[in-house]
Amino acid sequence: MSLDPRINRLDLKRVNDGEQTASHLITWEVFHQDKRGKQPVHAGIVHASTPEQALMFAKEQYARRGKTANLWVVKTADVYTFNSEDEAIFETTPEKTFRDPAFYKVRERIEAFQSKNKL
Amino acid sequence: MNNDAIKDLLYRMADDALIIGHRNSEWTGIGPMLEEDLAFSSMSQDKIGHAQALYNILYTSFGEKNPDMLAFQRAEKDFRSCQLVELPIGEYDFSLVRHFLFDHAEALRYGLLEASSFAPLAGLARKVRGEIRYHVMHADTFFKQLSTGNEVAKARMQSALNYALPYALGIFEPSAYEEALIADGVFAGEARLQELWLEKITPIVAAAGLQMPAIDAAKAIYGGRKGYHSEYLQPLLAEMTEVTSIDPAAEW
Amino acid sequence: MYGNTSLTAEEAKIVNAAVEDPAKLEEFEARISRGEKIEPGDWMPEQYRKQLIRMIEQHAHSEIVGALPEGTWITRAPNFRRKLALIAKVQDEVGHGQLLYSAAETLGKTREQMLMDLLSGKSKYSNVFNYPANTWADIAVIGFLVDGAAIVNQVINSKGSYGPYCRALERICYEESFHLKQGHDNFVYLATGTKVQREMLQEALNRWYRPLLHFFGPSDRDSQHSEKLMKWKVKLASNDDMRNQFLDQYVPKILELGLTLPDPELRRGDDGIWVFGDPDWDEFKRVINGDGPCNAERLEVRRYAELAHRWVREALMNPKEKYVTPMA
Ligand SMILES: [Fe+2]
Ligand SMILES: [Fe+2]
Repeated sequence: MSLDPRINRLDLKRVNDGEQTASHLITWEVFHQDKRGKQPVHAGIVHASTPEQALMFAKEQYARRGKTANLWVVKTADVYTFNSEDEAIFETTPEKTFRDPAFYKVRERIEAFQSKNKL
Repeated sequence: MNNDAIKDLLYRMADDALIIGHRNSEWTGIGPMLEEDLAFSSMSQDKIGHAQALYNILYTSFGEKNPDMLAFQRAEKDFRSCQLVELPIGEYDFSLVRHFLFDHAEALRYGLLEASSFAPLAGLARKVRGEIRYHVMHADTFFKQLSTGNEVAKARMQSALNYALPYALGIFEPSAYEEALIADGVFAGEARLQELWLEKITPIVAAAGLQMPAIDAAKAIYGGRKGYHSEYLQPLLAEMTEVTSIDPAAEW
Repeated sequence: MYGNTSLTAEEAKIVNAAVEDPAKLEEFEARISRGEKIEPGDWMPEQYRKQLIRMIEQHAHSEIVGALPEGTWITRAPNFRRKLALIAKVQDEVGHGQLLYSAAETLGKTREQMLMDLLSGKSKYSNVFNYPANTWADIAVIGFLVDGAAIVNQVINSKGSYGPYCRALERICYEESFHLKQGHDNFVYLATGTKVQREMLQEALNRWYRPLLHFFGPSDRDSQHSEKLMKWKVKLASNDDMRNQFLDQYVPKILELGLTLPDPELRRGDDGIWVFGDPDWDEFKRVINGDGPCNAERLEVRRYAELAHRWVREALMNPKEKYVTPMA
């Protein structure tokens, strides 16, 4: 006899034992977009069998509070990443200033030109 | 407008939502997958919230008692819920089939009520549209996936459907006020709702590869709408009042 | 014992003695000491992986088993406000379990394996959930104080080194603040209510005092340390430090309501360290080893949830899809 009336209503003996293998289904990576116009951001995973079901579950696990514009799900198996040993490829040498807007400073040149030509 | 007719409709809807909300909340923590626990729990919160909103209309528009009194302090014979919602959660197949049958009826009912001449109900119908749309989407997704999943699940779903259908017909138990509701433009009536419901669910059942049981009005399980309930309602109501009855004067 | 590693002497020896590739280990430890997080694909010492799985898994089990004592009162919650708050709160706990299992999965153990280990008793969960919620007042004590204790532990753990665990905890801590608020609200209503309500609450408080002291695990004097786990930011605070922080934060909030705690020795020392009477660590050990008031029922219910509905998951399963370890 449980203190929980819900539990007393269950047929707890109705359990089929046995091994279970990966029965919690595959996982899906969930991306959450909080507002139209914003980037969807990775929020976590859900276990589900189909994209429809993954979306159903993602809605309750990742969108039950706050604002949501949309959710994306993608099979974990379909996501590719770099190996973390290759992290070094993201280090850029500091000389790559030609890609920075701040690198381009022509004001001095213009002023020199103006004073030289009395403009 | 006929106030008794509207009140009767509100009580049916509120009591259904309250009781099925309670039943679905029983899955919190013991469902078939963690993700599904979360979904059932959210839907139960929605339903209990709908009940609260409906009782609140009874309170503010008709001077009935406040929502907490109506939900937690009313005698069993005054409840107007159908017997479908009272049944224990059973196993997941039954809970899911009940959810599928009930929520389609509910979605269609609120759909009709969006055009109701009784403004508070029309307003509520529009407000809950999104939540109920998710409930139906969830029900359809699972109903189809389980029915087509494997033979074991298919057989379970079919027998749950056979068992639940006569109870589901009880949702549409005619009331003494049908004509008044229709004449006043409050609600299109239970008979019309049942028609729409059958049109809606029959193809979904077929697409899921299940057999739609024969619709036999004689087998419909009526009574709930008149205060005759299954053996399961009273124990649940007793649970709901257990705490307040310790000290009815207290604020909980 | 929540997301909290307590090691036996034997286990501590194994952790401390494990040998790893020195160059990789140095790089790994340097990363942690720079305050960077470790991500799932990174090289990591075997013991780091093992202890993290164990800790996160226990934490996840604690969440889903923790949903059961409070679930006891879901159908009986007395009004709309309390009912909706309680269902939403218990739902969050199940959600926390889901998030934490996900974090542990990234380390290479499947969710079903973790759940099987819970059912077989191989893997533990917090002792506090082996006690019953006898009355509605127990729900107030759990919501306010058990969640309060859990928050102390979780906030500390969220500063750890493993990225996925920290991310899960960040979200969890946000939701916990709702748990604490609704628990405190319920607690205050009972404490400031009628005589009957106050008595109920005081009795519940008396029942939960010891399990709450046990919550953070045995005293530092009696538990094994692993310098490595500290250095790797798997364990971030000692059991006694966390317990002290909890007492410091919550005892005043209990006393301000004119309630008492069943411990004549309880007081705050001048050094800020709380002194308390012997909380009976033998009972703690008995309960951990399966002999608490609700251990059997908790596992029986979880076994039901897991196994009676296996047909659902089997029907959903697509045999062509192969499970791969999630990444975040
Ligand atoms: Fe939690
Ligand atoms: Fe919590």
